Amino acid sequence: MSAIIEVRGVTKDYPLGQLTVRALHGVELCVDRGEFTTIAGPSGSGKTTLLNLIGCVDVPTGGSVVFDGAVTSSLSDRELTRLRLEKLGFIFQSFNLVQVLSVFQNVELPLLLQGGIDVAERKRRVESILDRVGLSRFLRHRPNELSGGQRQRVAIARALVTKPRLVLADEPTANLDSVTGNSILELMKELNQQDGTTFIFSTHDHRVMELASRIVRVQDGRVVEDGRGDKSPVAAAAAAY
Amino acid sequence: MVTLQIALNNLLASRRRTLFLGAALFGVTLLFVLLLALTAGVTDNLIRGATNISSGHVNIGGYYKSTPSDSQTVVLNASQLKAEAKEALPDALRIIDRLRGWGKVISDKGTVQSGLNGIDLADESALLELLALAPAKDYIDNPANAEEVKGSLDALQKPGTIMLFASQAKRLKVDVGDQVTLRTETLKGQSNTAEAVVGAVVRDLGLLSSFASFVPKQTIIELYQFKPDVSGAVQIYLKDIDRSEAAMNELRAHLEKKGYAQLEHDGQPFFIKLLQTVPNEEWTGAKLDVTTWEDESSFLVQIIIGLRAISVFLVMLLAIVIVIGISNTMTIAVRERTREIGTLRAIGMNRGGILALFLLEALLLGLLASGAGGITGGVVAALLDAGGLKVDVDAIRVVLLSNTLHLVPRVFDIVLAVAALTFVSMIAAFFPALRAARITPVTAMQAAE
Ligand SMILES: Nc1ncnc2c1ncn2[C@@H]1O[C@H](COP(=O)(O)OP(=O)(O)OP(=O)(O)O)[C@@H](O)[C@H]1O
Ligand SMILES: [Mg+2]
Repeated sequence: MSAIIEVRGVTKDYPLGQLTVRALHGVELCVDRGEFTTIAGPSGSGKTTLLNLIGCVDVPTGGSVVFDGAVTSSLSDRELTRLRLEKLGFIFQSFNLVQVLSVFQNVELPLLLQGGIDVAERKRRVESILDRVGLSRFLRHRPNELSGGQRQRVAIARALVTKPRLVLADEPTANLDSVTGNSILELMKELNQQDGTTFIFSTHDHRVMELASRIVRVQDGRVVEDGRGDKSPVAAAAAAY
Repeated sequence: MVTLQIALNNLLASRRRTLFLGAALFGVTLLFVLLLALTAGVTDNLIRGATNISSGHVNIGGYYKSTPSDSQTVVLNASQLKAEAKEALPDALRIIDRLRGWGKVISDKGTVQSGLNGIDLADESALLELLALAPAKDYIDNPANAEEVKGSLDALQKPGTIMLFASQAKRLKVDVGDQVTLRTETLKGQSNTAEAVVGAVVRDLGLLSSFASFVPKQTIIELYQFKPDVSGAVQIYLKDIDRSEAAMNELRAHLEKKGYAQLEHDGQPFFIKLLQTVPNEEWTGAKLDVTTWEDESSFLVQIIIGLRAISVFLVMLLAIVIVIGISNTMTIAVRERTREIGTLRAIGMNRGGILALFLLEALLLGLLASGAGGITGGVVAALLDAGGLKVDVDAIRVVLLSNTLHLVPRVFDIVLAVAALTFVSMIAAFFPALRAARITPVTAMQAAE
């Protein structure tokens, strides 16, 4: 398998008044296509910061992030935007749906932004993905008429409708109860297994981690453990808490 | 287009804000349209007044000087000039002539300076249509019967009569039937007088009324001892008033060809030339001077310019208030929608898209609200005009050039007002929109508060 994302010696500084806060210290990480990876760590450990860099919404202070062969820090804002639109899907902790658009329109949005896809094709793709996340009956609903779990399913559909290379999810279950959260993760895993879409999600909930095939543990801006499959990552991560 | 959908839905979603800003845009557009309709109405009054009280659409005036410092406003052979006008301007509807005098009207109790128009009632149906007898209250202090009208518009058929505007009668403290003395003075100081009976007092027609009164042609002929066929000016009325300037040029060329001596064109009313320009020129004898109604009323155009300036100033002031209002509300909206904007950026909308989103919101708001305001303004103006509201304040009458409120809503003005205020709302939205476009996609990742 080839790497879709390579994080090489990455540091990230945030200005904080006169000071700078170093959120990441020389992070190394390589994620291959089709992986279902979680980034785990306590609050303030740098999970979101790392996902931002992987997701091309921010660029590192030092080191480099290579996404699908491109060094993100060498791209312009326009190129980064294009990259996110074409190759990435995002699932947010607070769902971040456009409140004034219907479920259908929210999911259709990335296709419209990509352009060049005709109405019939858009309709087919939106309905098919909404069917897969179990929301066929809610096409005309507005986000505020849905439960949290349903909203996150819409967000998953929106992230996947463009068939991206990589889907990023920052604490996708943090605003959901554990049962709903689990079902969201199950859904993501199912989509990962069926389509081979690469997923990277962050969490600090170890019940959620169990579902990942790889756990990358960060602490104080460093990768402190990177457990893959047979190394029983669940046990390792659980032990760390 | 999804941007349009989002913009429209956002407007609908924040209904209070939309209604508030929309109402402001609506109101200002409405006011703007009313002011434009008023300006057009005043222009209309000016044209009607100027082209009936003191001028035709095109005029052949003339000056006669026996010595270089002399000056009289006459044409020596009116009937011949009428024939020339008819030949040169086939589109002339009516060609009449009036005698022009200038002098004092004196009563027992007062004196006014006035242009004395010597007219032949038979030619003046258009003028008579414009005039209406004034009720007593318009020119008499504490009249017994305020609404009483005396005299008749036909009074000038009798020799030795005069028709005054109400504001002149008021200053002279005269009523219909009273006697006044007309005194004219030549530049050399020679003066002639004639007696006249007030035959009618007519309602003021704005500012022009203070400068003009009407007498039979014979009165002027006697005052100045004119020979037959001498007149003041030939007045030509065209099918299309907008052709005045072209018609003037054609007539000038025609008269030139026929060998008449003419003054160079000078866009001043005849009395300015009579009193200031012509007496300072070296020539003697007779010269013609062809002018348009705009030349003859150029001193009144100031009123329209003033009115237009006030309208623009007022609307600009209100537009600034609107700009501040929209720009503040938009700034708040951008702040409130920061995460949504960040999300749109994260999933692949570029900066231009965000900018367009907010500008489109302003465009929609501006177009809908000011469009409604513009149409309402047009309807209100038409209704007010049809209502024919009487104006009782003298100062306002002077500005309106009329005693009734006259509004002319024009489609062009409405489109102009709507376009201007839509533009204003987009200008107002520009900086907040720019701010929105600068929001980074990282914002989307930040957890909700
Ligand atoms: N915009 C910012 N400006 C300044 N400091 C920041 C900023 N974003 C993050 N940090 C700091 O960087 C460090 C890592 O933060 P990050 O949000 O990546 O952690 P996290 O693991 O996602 O935490 P949580 O579980 O609470 O979401 C923290 O110390 C945080 O205070
Ligand atoms: Mg975080």
